[in-house]
Amino acid sequence: MYPKAPNDDRESLSTLLVVPRSGRGVLPRLEATQAGRAGGVAGCKSMWRGLWTLAAQAARGPRRLCTRRSSSALAPGSGATIFALSSGQGRCGVAVIRTSGPASGQALRILTAPRDLPPARHASLRLLSDPRSGEPLDRALVLWFPGPKSFTGEDCVEFHVHGGPAVVSGVLQALGSVPGLRPAEAGEFTRRAFAHGKLNLTEVEGLADLIHAETEAQRRQALRQLDGELGHLCRGWAETLTKALAHVEAYIDFGEDDNLEEGVLEQADIEVRALQVALGAHLRDARRGQRLRSGAHVVVTGPPNAGKSSLVNLLSRKPVSIVSPEPGTTRDVLETPVDLAGFPVLLSDTAGLREGVGPVEQEGVRRARESCNFLATVVASVGAQSHSDSSQRLLLVLNKSDLLSTEGPGPGPDMPPHLLLSCVTGEGLDGLLEALREELAAVCGDPSTGPPLLTRARHQHHLQGCLDALGHYKQSKDLALAAEALRVARGHLTRLTGGGGTEEILDIIFRDFCVGK
Amino acid sequence: MFSFRGCGGRVAASFTKRQFPLPRLSSDSAGPRTPHFDVIVIGGGHAGTEAATAAARCGSRTLLLTHRVDTIGQMSCNPSFGGIGKGHLMREVDALDGLCSRICDQSGVHYKVLNRCKGPAVWGLRAQIDRKLYKQNMQKEILSTPLLTVQEGAVEDLILTEPEPEHTGKCRVSGVVLVDGSTVYSESVILTTGTFLRGMIIIGLEMHPAGRLGDQPSIGLAQTLEKLGFVVGRLKTGTPPRIAKESINFSILNKQTPDNPSLPFSFMNETVWIKPEDQLPCYLTHTNPRVDEIVLKNLHLNSHVKETIRGPRYCPSIESKVLRFPNRQHQVWLEPEGMDSDLIYPQGLSMTLPAELQEKMITCIRGLEKAKVIQPGYGVQYDYLDPRQITPSLETHLVQRLFFAGQINGTTGYEEAAAQGVIAGINASLRVNRKPPFVISRTEGYIGVLIDDLTTLGTSEPYRMFTSRVEFRLSLRPDNADSRLTLRGYKEAGCVSQQRYERACWMKSSLEEGISVLKSIEFSSSKWKNLIPEASISTSRSLPVRYTFLIQTFSHFL
Repeated sequence: MYPKAPNDDRESLSTLLVVPRSGRGVLPRLEATQAGRAGGVAGCKSMWRGLWTLAAQAARGPRRLCTRRSSSALAPGSGATIFALSSGQGRCGVAVIRTSGPASGQALRILTAPRDLPPARHASLRLLSDPRSGEPLDRALVLWFPGPKSFTGEDCVEFHVHGGPAVVSGVLQALGSVPGLRPAEAGEFTRRAFAHGKLNLTEVEGLADLIHAETEAQRRQALRQLDGELGHLCRGWAETLTKALAHVEAYIDFGEDDNLEEGVLEQADIEVRALQVALGAHLRDARRGQRLRSGAHVVVTGPPNAGKSSLVNLLSRKPVSIVSPEPGTTRDVLETPVDLAGFPVLLSDTAGLREGVGPVEQEGVRRARESCNFLATVVASVGAQSHSDSSQRLLLVLNKSDLLSTEGPGPGPDMPPHLLLSCVTGEGLDGLLEALREELAAVCGDPSTGPPLLTRARHQHHLQGCLDALGHYKQSKDLALAAEALRVARGHLTRLTGGGGTEEILDIIFRDFCVGK
Repeated sequence: MFSFRGCGGRVAASFTKRQFPLPRLSSDSAGPRTPHFDVIVIGGGHAGTEAATAAARCGSRTLLLTHRVDTIGQMSCNPSFGGIGKGHLMREVDALDGLCSRICDQSGVHYKVLNRCKGPAVWGLRAQIDRKLYKQNMQKEILSTPLLTVQEGAVEDLILTEPEPEHTGKCRVSGVVLVDGSTVYSESVILTTGTFLRGMIIIGLEMHPAGRLGDQPSIGLAQTLEKLGFVVGRLKTGTPPRIAKESINFSILNKQTPDNPSLPFSFMNETVWIKPEDQLPCYLTHTNPRVDEIVLKNLHLNSHVKETIRGPRYCPSIESKVLRFPNRQHQVWLEPEGMDSDLIYPQGLSMTLPAELQEKMITCIRGLEKAKVIQPGYGVQYDYLDPRQITPSLETHLVQRLFFAGQINGTTGYEEAAAQGVIAGINASLRVNRKPPFVISRTEGYIGVLIDDLTTLGTSEPYRMFTSRVEFRLSLRPDNADSRLTLRGYKEAGCVSQQRYERACWMKSSLEEGISVLKSIEFSSSKWKNLIPEASISTSRSLPVRYTFLIQTFSHFL
């Protein structure tokens, strides 16, 4: 449900339409890979446990429904210490090389011999030398983070070296020669942090988004997620649900013979209903976070020669489209990514809408209409005046305001609300940018206020799955089936939060009830 | 595969003291006259009896070693079997041709299925059992099991030899040394020592070593295991006092009657041995503030409650209930101990107060005003071995061919013990015959959940089965344990009789036939709507709808 657009009741007399629309194309593909990878990590958590704790144990059952408690959880192959260049590739002032694992301290000692380990979490200047030749490599700032108070939870070292390629490769080679050290695989530092409970899955996703954030709003959203706000919200829901499930389970396992208090099931029903409401409300503005992550679409459309391409060039600050005084210069849909007021936007220039021209331009017009139609199918709910009966967010912009005579009549009084702009003088551009920012904030959500948004399709999928399962809970007559619905619902939530073992259920049962004989 | 029970001529098993007619004589250096078995089972409780008979059913020459033959099959705590989750385990034990379900069908005095109104996946088959009958029937069964020899004796030590190089483990067990110094050799050994490892009984401030009231603990064996490097933990449990039946005023208490008809535990039985009208009732009463007062006033006389060793949260003593949930009424079920028993078992009153205070507390309770305590309640503390040291086949990682089953692995309950016993017996036998282990996964049975939880997570309190532990609860029902396990048990383990196998096959094919008939049913959606008004089927569908479609789509309505 989107906030009502300010331009609801306008006629479609638009000279020029600027239409934000939601993401498409790149989004599903990106989501699929991300979600797949994330799912892989989640799946691994329960499998690793089996592998580390009981390496000798042969065939186990298929994957657990739930992640087991990971008390003494160690990362896979945790014997190994990993190292990698953590800053970007290429010549630069300072490059950061990190290690993580039990041999980190040893590596630091060997590279900085004969000096001993510096004090923990203090920057110290050290001469790094190659352990094989003794040759000095660089004078570097080193930081020693003994576990578990480190990013990964293991012993970590950071070398802040000068950023020349020879220095970096020299230090990397020196580290490679230390016994027990090996180059890290992609994402392995984060994976270890995850395995040691330093980051949960949504925080890992937030970290990845923060690293890839290109606009200010994206950064704000990613940082909030890294701080665990989304995880926190989901954990709150998961706790409610786990409690409700525990009470239903208590009723199944103990209800008959033990004196559970009255109204255990009724209480669970109330909690489930409240959760349904909360999830439903959150899901309604769910896609905004995804849009912010992957970019909103803004289509510029209108009659030929209105100056659509000029506006696109103006907004993107580069000559994306060829402009000429001749109508019908743009014949195809041209897209360019821009940062508009901190929001990531894919800006589309389209062919002017007119009838009775050559086949090429007609195809361009068709495509232009199509990109608006597509929009109509994605953005829901706010009615506006377009050729289809749908709901688009429209900004009516009248270009070439520099041609209006200063004291002559302005646009007629019947004109719907609009913005005046001159692409030539730039007059009215600030007003347009402000209007766009408001529209985008409505479409993408404001990342600095309100509840944390769902930034990935995965989040939405699991929340929706949870909500659907809660629906089945109420419909089931057989209490075991009802409990199964809650288990499915909880399974979806724990994909976002981690945890979810049966011990948690039993802990709640024995905390809340005096059961057993 | 083979079966002894099915093939007529029963071989009478021997019960002898210090005599070994069946086993061949060992030919190794230990001496020509040393007896040699395939499997030795130490302990005659619920795990030991199942383990010994399972190994024998699998064709292994088996020796059951116990402190006292007359305590084989003793129900040392509550006079009941089954319950929610536990009934599931019993059905699975029965599906593998184990004993306890069949014995319960011959020995119960009050059969009742719990959770009848909550869906068939969570039904809890349960019965009050006549202790004496159970023991008699169990001993009769044990002593007539082919290939199974029973001997009295306390095991002091294990005989260890070089490990087999193709398996993990630092040594291999090849027999046991008894207290009198004699040795018995075997290909594998199963330990089912229950609470006897350094067992200690506590009443009030008194403590004395005992595995069970009146029985000696096993101390030498505990030391041997510790020396081998096993991680040992300590657990506690308790049992309530027993009350004289005629001293209770039942007339003012709530009466609970058994089911009519009774549902038997075993797949092999259509009925139980006793008619519902001949069965005994149970009675319900409650604690009151005066009970709380006695507990709280006398905590200083109660060393069991104060100590930090973990007890079961779900079998709490009345003391811990009062401490954790003060100012409440707690239920006390008064359960018969048997047909002609003079004792009543007050379920819910497990306690370790000094004996004289126990009677004082009990006489505060409604209906028990004149109650006589015949045997005081007591607490037991005992060693258990961290079950993460065993494989899913219950063989230890450290010592090859040594298996653990029952309370030694940190579980509580007859049914949990029996379930492990069957698996240990089967696997000890398979191991001797160099066959792959018989492992039940979490997707196949409650036994799989039990063993997987123990061997991967370990336990810090006595482990009890609950249906909430089971991820695939809807599929692992008491009613289908035979189709889940009997066929596997017959083909892979050889522990199932021909008769049971054929019955399970018949059941399986009947079910399949029934399902295929259901699948073939097609009606128009409007007819379905009439038949099942709750299902919201769109009547606009013009195609006929299959029953199975309906089941899959609307299962939550049905």
